[in-house]
Amino acid sequence: MFLLRLRAVFGKSGRARYISHLDLNRCMLRIFRRSKLPVWYTEGFNPHPYYSFALALSLGFESDCEIMDFNITDDNMSMEEIRDRLNAVMPEGMKIISVAPQNRKITAITKAEYRFSLVSENTHSLKSEIVRFMEQPEILIEKRTKKGVKTVDLKPDIEIVKCVDSGNSVDITLRLPAGTQTNYNPVLFIDALKNTSEISFETAGIRRSGILCENNEKFS
Amino acid sequence: MLKDKIEKYLLEVQKPSRYIGGEVGSITKNKQETDVRFAFCFPDTYDIGMSHIGMKILYSVINERENYWCERCFAPSPDFEEIMRKNDIPLYALESLDPIREFDFIGFTMQYELSYTNVLNMLDLAGIPVFAEDRTDELTQIVVAGGPCVCNPEPLADFFDLFILGEGEEVNLELMDLYHEMKQQGVGRIDFLRRAAQIEGIYVPRFYKFDYKEDGTIDKMTVTGNAPQKVRKRIIADFDKVYYPENFVVPFTEIVHDRVSVEVLRGCIRGCRFCQAGFIYRPFREKTPDTIYKETKCLCENTGYDEVSLASLSTSDHSQIDGMLTKLIDYTEKERVNLSLPSLRVDNFSESLLEKIKKVRKSGLTFAAEGGTQRLRDVINKNVSEEEIMSTCKIAFEGGYSSVKLYFMMGLPTETDEDIIGIAGLAQRILDLFYSIENRPKGKSPQISVSCATFVPKPFTPFQFEPQDTREEIERKQKLLLDSVKSKKIRVSYHDSDVSLLEAVLAKGDRRLCKVIYTAWKKGCKFDSWSEYYKFDLWLEAFEECGIDPSFYANRRIGYNEILPWEHLDYFVSKEFFIRENKTAHKSVTTPNCRIRCSGCGVNKSAGRECFCYD
Repeated sequence: MFLLRLRAVFGKSGRARYISHLDLNRCMLRIFRRSKLPVWYTEGFNPHPYYSFALALSLGFESDCEIMDFNITDDNMSMEEIRDRLNAVMPEGMKIISVAPQNRKITAITKAEYRFSLVSENTHSLKSEIVRFMEQPEILIEKRTKKGVKTVDLKPDIEIVKCVDSGNSVDITLRLPAGTQTNYNPVLFIDALKNTSEISFETAGIRRSGILCENNEKFS
Repeated sequence: MLKDKIEKYLLEVQKPSRYIGGEVGSITKNKQETDVRFAFCFPDTYDIGMSHIGMKILYSVINERENYWCERCFAPSPDFEEIMRKNDIPLYALESLDPIREFDFIGFTMQYELSYTNVLNMLDLAGIPVFAEDRTDELTQIVVAGGPCVCNPEPLADFFDLFILGEGEEVNLELMDLYHEMKQQGVGRIDFLRRAAQIEGIYVPRFYKFDYKEDGTIDKMTVTGNAPQKVRKRIIADFDKVYYPENFVVPFTEIVHDRVSVEVLRGCIRGCRFCQAGFIYRPFREKTPDTIYKETKCLCENTGYDEVSLASLSTSDHSQIDGMLTKLIDYTEKERVNLSLPSLRVDNFSESLLEKIKKVRKSGLTFAAEGGTQRLRDVINKNVSEEEIMSTCKIAFEGGYSSVKLYFMMGLPTETDEDIIGIAGLAQRILDLFYSIENRPKGKSPQISVSCATFVPKPFTPFQFEPQDTREEIERKQKLLLDSVKSKKIRVSYHDSDVSLLEAVLAKGDRRLCKVIYTAWKKGCKFDSWSEYYKFDLWLEAFEECGIDPSFYANRRIGYNEILPWEHLDYFVSKEFFIRENKTAHKSVTTPNCRIRCSGCGVNKSAGRECFCYD
């Protein structure tokens, strides 16, 4: 059977950020069914459209770079047509940005980039706090895993791309390990900072802004 | 803006997508361009309320009208309610995220008695006075209710401006039209209610007063405001042509019935004497297989659901069930849609029907036998014989099924210990049958689940006159049943007797219960249908403080001549019929179903047409 392996980049923002990963799965099934695209169905006892997400996105996060793989059984459709047909049946806040043939393997993903703002009365001091925070020899945090709670050192894995004082907030862009091996949630960083910081702040709008390969190249 | 305030806390609560709207299929309008706004409230959580088919129908019916806007509203779970109260977030509707206190209509659907306290809680959260008489004289915030429980709305009478009796597809719009017209004239609430009471199907409780005798029963009812002496329920005359939505709101979070449901028939021909639904939804009306097919296809395509369920009181009573299923299965198999068929009856469960449902359903089989002995099944008019149950189970076992679920009721009128022991006996004989079948499913252990509810006498049934067993008696019978079951392959579950008692009181209660409900809610009762929130001790305190004896409503036999709290409401089935059926029940005599012979319930006279053609 003809099979075209495709990869969609999609965004999730506004109210759609309250769709949990589990719910997103169910939601996508219905999107495919509504679109009537010739998607490939699994051949098991209970056939359903095949699709898979590269990374789970935490509840509440926005993103404009989520990755979903799926297969099409018709070679007469343009990538734009597939994108548009999916977008026509998407819920508010979800949008397919592009559809293209799969390029690299999912295992090529090694990190993800996040952007968020730390809102504070005293951004100047907060920024200095962050610099001090990152100068610590190690940043130990407790991470919950399937095997229980373990203590890990975040320090070597945090890559701060940007840290800007914009007046009423400190805007941060950082990269953390992601993919099949290690996944760190930016909330780990934020919580660790909160624990040591003397300046109080609130986190506004975490957005995943990139899914990257080892050389910081955009995964596609 | 309220939206920002809501979003600030949303990530602190369980399943936040329930509180923010934006689902596919939800309908948003410009409020400046709408004339009447209706908040359709379900007095339970989103997960439950979103499964309700009536809401889907009425939501779409209203929104078809360009200048009317219907939105959804549910009871927040306690975690979110706490946040709402602490941060002054009033109860809001999911489409606009506007507070429902700004709406013209606040409409509740009353599906079960144990949701009554949630109505008060939701009104309070909305900032709307819970008592109708405390609301503004202006024409706004009309609090209305419909649904099966409003066939006896008296325990709720003080909280509502009006009740909508029967089917809402037409009358809801008539009511909104009247409101729209009168709003333009600038009249007040009371004038609107006076006019509304003239619409067939609208019951305005404040125009009806009750006097009570010394023994607590009703002495007389007085009608004021030119309202009708008897309020007739509404029905849809041409059910095959009735409006049915082309789209559903598709939730993000998983809900209880997360699928397309298509209504195939309304009403019931059976006349089981305990069953309120079997009487209040009469007359029996069907949709044609063609309509059912079209609605199924349309909804599956528009929602993207891959599962469809046929909704009715008894799907196998559809006169064209075989043709309907053939047509549907053709479609669902091709489109890889799962079809599920709840509400199948034992007695007309043919081999060809089983062949068909085997294609669509892999789970177990459920039979509502209701009574443990033939005598008792005759009393309740559950026209099912043990032979039929056995032969159906045999077909099912031979067809590869190994688990059977049986529904029974406990505390039925005339019930003796023999009937309780009979439940265990029947389950045991089904188990023995399994082992006696040569080609039974191999390698599978059989499982017989016995689920035993407590009988709750309900208005508009032949058993409306019957007392409910006392809690002590029910608990004794539950223990007797457990002791009578000898096999580990038979699993018994039963309902909490405290819950059933409250159900009976609220179902058959009169206006004096309003203050009990209010008091119980004030004490903290809400989500009474959730066992983790049910606080029976607080209810007992409320009864005590209000000087009301719950057993007067639940455990007392009602005389045929007594004025019933719901006697001024006309659900088309006559009281004479219920009395006749009650007497027949006590003689253990059955009444044939409507298709075999008309039993003269009075529906055809009220509806103005015959239900069936008899040869």
